[in-house]
Amino acid sequence: MAAVNGYQGNTPADPPATNGSKQPVPSTKTVDSQSVLKRLQSELMGLMMGGDPGISAFPEEDNIFCWKGTITGSKETVFEGTEYRLSLSFSNDYPFKPPKVKFETCCFHPNVDVYGNICLDILQDKWSSAYDVRTILLSIQSLLGEPNISSPLNTQAAQLWSNQEEYKKMVEKLYKPLNA
Amino acid sequence: MQNQNDLLKDESEIASSISEIKYEEWGNCSTLEDEPSFQEEESAKVPYVGDKEPLSSLAAEYQSGSPILLEKIKILENQYTAIRRTRGDGNCFFRSFMFSYLEHILESQDRAEVDRIKVNVEKCRKTLQNLGYTDFTFEDFFALFLEQLDDILQGSEESISYEELVNRSRDQSVSDYIVMFFRFVTAGEIRTRAEFFEPFITGLSNATVDQFCKSSVEPMGEESDHIHITALSDALGVAIRVMYLDRSSCDNGGVTVNHHDFVPAGTNEKEEASAPFITLLYRPGHYDILYPKSSCKVPDNVGK
Repeated sequence: MAAVNGYQGNTPADPPATNGSKQPVPSTKTVDSQSVLKRLQSELMGLMMGGDPGISAFPEEDNIFCWKGTITGSKETVFEGTEYRLSLSFSNDYPFKPPKVKFETCCFHPNVDVYGNICLDILQDKWSSAYDVRTILLSIQSLLGEPNISSPLNTQAAQLWSNQEEYKKMVEKLYKPLNA
Repeated sequence: MQNQNDLLKDESEIASSISEIKYEEWGNCSTLEDEPSFQEEESAKVPYVGDKEPLSSLAAEYQSGSPILLEKIKILENQYTAIRRTRGDGNCFFRSFMFSYLEHILESQDRAEVDRIKVNVEKCRKTLQNLGYTDFTFEDFFALFLEQLDDILQGSEESISYEELVNRSRDQSVSDYIVMFFRFVTAGEIRTRAEFFEPFITGLSNATVDQFCKSSVEPMGEESDHIHITALSDALGVAIRVMYLDRSSCDNGGVTVNHHDFVPAGTNEKEEASAPFITLLYRPGHYDILYPKSSCKVPDNVGK
């Protein structure tokens, strides 16, 4: 709780560049980056209280616009026993625009490229303000076990997916534990 | 150690083999592309909500167009004086509804209507909570809409002028919030009455109610059709008239302009008899706002 309160009144030193270049200056005091801040604080509180197993997220030291998240591979998938770190960066347009989400841990997956970019519809054109950090992380967690093979970012992973035994070996080979 | 070296070697091999894959082969996912599409740039030249224009500006658009359309526009000119265009960004129905509704309240100062819709807004909030939406995902949007309702009623320090209403409707940080408020309300209504909406949704696409809400209602920029209009009208208890300007014509020779009134469930007969105060013009793929001639109510026998 103390940590959550610690963010109040903190303006981010270096918010990520906004997507819309010609955004009009807000004419009311109601909606501005303060509301993004408030929303992110609520999300953080919700995540801390929610206690979903297998996902977590927390803002970086002094910037509530940049979060680090972790997800663990679900049971009975080839990712069981692995844990991945992700970065989430929010713009002033949040929650109208999705945060930029990337894997920071190497993840051998059909819909994740070598730079950690993720191909997931809700992070692109099917984004809506009804999603939040929690549902994003849960969606990515379920994407791990249920890849979309038809439009892969990593074709090698897509091809190997049908052979789950070999795939699991590859996941284990490439896996770097978080605190190693 | 041996093992670890192998591991590193494998990893770098895989990494390089992945990065050799050409960009074109990466499927249709545009994670690396962040530029606005041509369409977005084009539509950005039109304000979210335009100025009121005489209806003759509609005819001017179709000068050398289909005779059926020109004839229909003539009919519209008998009943309507003006049009207000909205940006074709996929949010035009919600944006048209927003402006039309708030403008009506500003002009009529109908406090009873504001009190009535606030009750419905609170019901919508409960609906979303019951459906398991997290409060913070929708509360800002609700708060902003309620704030606009208070601001357009005159007599308080926050009261706003007509010009300010136009400004706010063009200001992304207000306009998009209200559009999103309507999207939440619409999705909540569809999900709560899933058994009612399901046949319409399956008729339109082979999506489930949940998929439909996630892919066609909740994301900004997704276009609206009958399902959205019915749900929003029912949820807020506001009737909406839509005039259809398309190429369809009747067999009996005469050209008429079809219209449909979306009348919320539970409307009493007296209210039903009067024309809705919101009239939208539908052209395939787009909604704008229409202004009726003040003395002329559209007779109910017009091309139902």
